[in-house]
Amino acid sequence: MSGSWMTTRAWLLMLPLLVVMISVIGWPLVDTVRLSFTDAKLVGTQGNFVGFDNYAKMLSGSNFQRTLITTTWFAVISVAAEMVLGVLAALLLNQQFRGRALLRALMILPWALPTVVNATLWRLIYNPEYGALNAALTQIGLLEAYRSWLGEPNTALTALIVADCWKNFPLVALIALAALQAVPRDITAASLVDGAGPINRFRFVILPYLAGPLMVALVLRTIEAFKVFDIIWVMTRGGPANSTRTLSILVYQEAFSFQRAGSGASLALIVTLLVTVLAVAYAALVRKVAGSTA
Amino acid sequence: MSALEIQNIRKSYGAIETLKGIDIALQSGEFLVLLGSSGCGKSTLLNIIAGLAEATSGDIRIGDRSILGVHPKDRDIAMVFQSYALYPNLSVRRNIGFGLEMRKVPVAERDKAVQEAARLLQIEALLDRKPNQLSGGQRQRVAIGRALVRKPQVFLFDEPLSNLDAKLRLEMRTELKRLHQMLRTTVVYVTHDQIEAMTLATRIAVMKDGRIEQLGTPEEIYNRPATLYVAGFVGAPPMNILDVTVRGGALEVAGSDVAIPLPARYAAIGDGARLSLGIRPEALRLATENVAGLSLPATVEVVELTGPELITTARIGGQKLIACLAPRARISEGENHRFAFDEEALRLFDPKTGKACEVSS
Repeated sequence: MSGSWMTTRAWLLMLPLLVVMISVIGWPLVDTVRLSFTDAKLVGTQGNFVGFDNYAKMLSGSNFQRTLITTTWFAVISVAAEMVLGVLAALLLNQQFRGRALLRALMILPWALPTVVNATLWRLIYNPEYGALNAALTQIGLLEAYRSWLGEPNTALTALIVADCWKNFPLVALIALAALQAVPRDITAASLVDGAGPINRFRFVILPYLAGPLMVALVLRTIEAFKVFDIIWVMTRGGPANSTRTLSILVYQEAFSFQRAGSGASLALIVTLLVTVLAVAYAALVRKVAGSTA
Repeated sequence: MSALEIQNIRKSYGAIETLKGIDIALQSGEFLVLLGSSGCGKSTLLNIIAGLAEATSGDIRIGDRSILGVHPKDRDIAMVFQSYALYPNLSVRRNIGFGLEMRKVPVAERDKAVQEAARLLQIEALLDRKPNQLSGGQRQRVAIGRALVRKPQVFLFDEPLSNLDAKLRLEMRTELKRLHQMLRTTVVYVTHDQIEAMTLATRIAVMKDGRIEQLGTPEEIYNRPATLYVAGFVGAPPMNILDVTVRGGALEVAGSDVAIPLPARYAAIGDGARLSLGIRPEALRLATENVAGLSLPATVEVVELTGPELITTARIGGQKLIACLAPRARISEGENHRFAFDEEALRLFDPKTGKACEVSS
């Protein structure tokens, strides 16, 4: 069989996938780029070419800047908390105790639930009239009167971060737990004989084996947190007073609520660019960490 | 007072007892090798001494204090592992000094100790490398260095040479012997390699199924095995074991008409006793016509030249007899020969109990 026939056959086999990818990813992307240079509305006009006007308007607007800060805050705090919680959970679940297998299986549950279900559960927990959080806090005396956790601008974002952590720390825990299995028993034993306490054992024995996999979790989670949409949309729709509006919510509002397809498209591309920069930076970091522990 | 005393140590995992009452007392500076096949409990015993596993009952004392329940770091022991167990992200220097660093020994003092250990082990040039830049032999030197700097009462070695290739193993074995001669620290060393045990130990404890089969000097273990198991485990090829019956002051080899006189030291054994006769392959030599003494006639089946010796497998009354002869011995397959030996080399065992027969003095 000739080489060129093999190549042709390979392309033929890939053709269905290529068609699908070009039609659902390639074409929309190209069209988004075109749209971002027009003043098109969602319905009606095709729009006129306006150059970089949309980009300039979006980047200089206070909405974008405020939303970028909210998004960054959300991503940094929730990912940091997820990493810490995830590693702690993994360390606990790596100990020998009765019921460990059951607990390991249960831990996955929040992550396995659809985001919409998780978000709805947390809305119930935070409910200002009959929510479990209000009930619990008043019963133990930490709170005098019921509060609207998702209705107040100064608590809504924190409440969302808690809900997001709850959902996503199991993924970090799972990755960390897998990495912990790779820590050789002999090195742990050697560190015990050498007199390393729990903190030094974590630093010198466990962390070198955890660093690479955790870096991967960090990259994945940061990119996802930066693009967050669903959990916020279900719980607060970006409110109250736009206090929980992230970039993806802003894109949605611009393009669909205000029907400004052109500026919505430009905003979407800005977000894509930001996430790409993050991804590339992290990929470089991962390579560096992987290189130093190999 | 013993440097290390192991008193009636038992260890059970559920219904399975892996150590069934181990008693050993070591004098300061002794090199004890725990020898046995895998699953005999030797590593479990070492881990109990180190504090990495707990005994179900019994006591272990270092010097005059019991160390059961004492944290591994406070037992005044240092351990070297089969897998080297180096900290992958620390330099050789910090790996060696890690135990001192954790004990907050001042930097200057620590550096001095690390340098000294590195000099002893000839790894001074490697101090700034990471473990992944070292060969297996170098890694094991670092692991030994890490144990040395602590200047412990007792060194524990868990099959430290098993991961090395044959040539390096030989080198490191000599190195360990040299270090022990120099430092004279008490050592407990686990291995399944009988050559390591024979060459390094001042005493060997041969273990089987959680019990000590025999505790003795290498010479005792080799020349006067206490049980059939020890006789078969130590020595390569292992000791020949022939079924014999005592009759009229002689030992009749089963399945043949060969009989040899019963040695005087076994005179107390009664007529008709069925025994196992043990004789080391190295104790056999080709008999010449005009030399009197004990010998066994056998038919040669296989001759293997290993270089330093000629391993000859022969048959006597259907039973196998292996002899390690001089490489130039003129012998070929199919020939009948007499294999001579000294009466002193002959051991008798009770096949029912597996134990060596009592010797009358």
